[in-house]
Amino acid sequence: MMDTSVRITSTLTLKNPVLSASGTFAYGEEFSKLFDLSILGGILTKGLSLKPKEGNPTPRVCEAPCGLINAIGLENIGVDAFISDKLPFLCTFDTPIIVNFFGTREEEYELMAGRLNIEGVSAVEMNVSCPNVSKGGLEFGKDPGILRNLVAQVRKATEKPLIVKLTPLVSDIGEMALAAQDGGADAVTCSNTIPAMAIDEKTWRPVLGNATGGLSGPAIKPIALRNVWEVAKRVRIPIIASGGAGSWQDVIQFLLAGASAVEIGSASLRDPLCFRSIIEGIESYMYDHNLMSVYELIGKLKTP
Amino acid sequence: MKDTRARVISNQEVAQDTYLMILECNLPSSVPGQFVMVKIDETSCDPFLRRPIAILRQGDNSIELLYKVRGAGTLELSRKNSGGILSVLGPLGNGFSLSERNGTIIYVAGGTGLPPILALAERIRRGYLIVGARTRADIPLWKRMEGISGIKALAMTEDGSFGRKGMATDALAELTTQDPSPCIIYACGPAGMLKAVSEQARRIRARCQVSLEERMACGFGVCSACTVKTSEGSKRVCVQGPVFEADLVEWGA
Repeated sequence: MMDTSVRITSTLTLKNPVLSASGTFAYGEEFSKLFDLSILGGILTKGLSLKPKEGNPTPRVCEAPCGLINAIGLENIGVDAFISDKLPFLCTFDTPIIVNFFGTREEEYELMAGRLNIEGVSAVEMNVSCPNVSKGGLEFGKDPGILRNLVAQVRKATEKPLIVKLTPLVSDIGEMALAAQDGGADAVTCSNTIPAMAIDEKTWRPVLGNATGGLSGPAIKPIALRNVWEVAKRVRIPIIASGGAGSWQDVIQFLLAGASAVEIGSASLRDPLCFRSIIEGIESYMYDHNLMSVYELIGKLKTP
Repeated sequence: MKDTRARVISNQEVAQDTYLMILECNLPSSVPGQFVMVKIDETSCDPFLRRPIAILRQGDNSIELLYKVRGAGTLELSRKNSGGILSVLGPLGNGFSLSERNGTIIYVAGGTGLPPILALAERIRRGYLIVGARTRADIPLWKRMEGISGIKALAMTEDGSFGRKGMATDALAELTTQDPSPCIIYACGPAGMLKAVSEQARRIRARCQVSLEERMACGFGVCSACTVKTSEGSKRVCVQGPVFEADLVEWGA
């Protein structure tokens, strides 16, 4: 019997390695009109802050070769509205709900983690890597000492599996993953969008209202793949890949590089039904290659 | 909302860089003002995102789209031949309110804002249709607009090359002065025009609905890219719009 499930922690098992990504799935309602969310390995929800957040001026997105640049600015409804208005609906699906959150100060991260330490939340993913806000995130993700301490504080505030979403904007992402592990993280997500920019030569102005944004989509997949591979060499906790995956082939490649699960983000903006074909594609691949478990793929890259 | 395959029946240039595409596809029924997200290439990830395009007309098993070539994506779309296959997600957005039964109806379309307005005029078949454009070559489907029973079509061009010289808002001001009876105004076009239309509507206390354009990534409400500021807070153009009551929109400078 073929088994596509992966275990992230003793309390978090995914029925398959395919997850939605934070920021491209909102709170699940829109996608639920298109397919049964229970087929997913897990749902990552839009990043939450303590208070509702407005986000950046428009334009907030523009296309880039094989991808897009976004500067949404972490617009969200706030943790309280999420718990009362969105979480009950999400809990009707037979899949883990992993709640992404961010803060602007250490105490805010702790408060958020505490607030989300409730029934219905299967795990939390803390964002220390958003490039599109002046405060909140990125500066926590760039220094290993600061990151280790922050994770250790948040660790005390929650019993939920704690996933740390790393930034690709560091010279040694493996060191940051190690810092997250030392701080008590159960897993790391590797990684986030890559800071980028678009300029309109007709107007001499930046295309995005925020001037800069984060590049995502197939354009960054090779970078994410390499980051997962680098991190896999350094940590023993599970790695969740995030960056440009949009097909079952991409997922297989990320698993081989060392990821235990893969988030699908930008691809689902283009193809909201891609989750279904990706999950089916993985099953066919495993069947064709006579693989009984996803663990026969995870980290099994052959290198000289 | 449904993601479905569509077969290109025809794709003709009906004005300069403006194409009328007829697709065979089975979508849930739509109201004027709703749109679809069209995936231009199934296999290539460049262009990556779908393109939002208003539904001009929906038949039993077909839809008409009117679009202008504005960049790499729409250029690629304009090269599709009959028999070509596309993916279409829709219908999306809220569409215009069709509940107003009384009073004069005035439709105002500026430039590429024509498709949802024409769709509405063809559905309601009553009132004045003001079509504003830069020049004659930018007005598609004029014969078709003239031929809609119950509709009086008025063309305005900035250079005077077709219809009358002036802006769509000039024609609107004239119409509402000549006939001061209650009216409802539906508009789509550049932000500057919509702001002016909305101010005129406020002055004469007319209900006014505007269809807004904003850069979108997903088109179905998940990415929060296409927000607009309103007096009821920020709203997503793709799902809470694209049609808004004009007096709710906080127009920029």
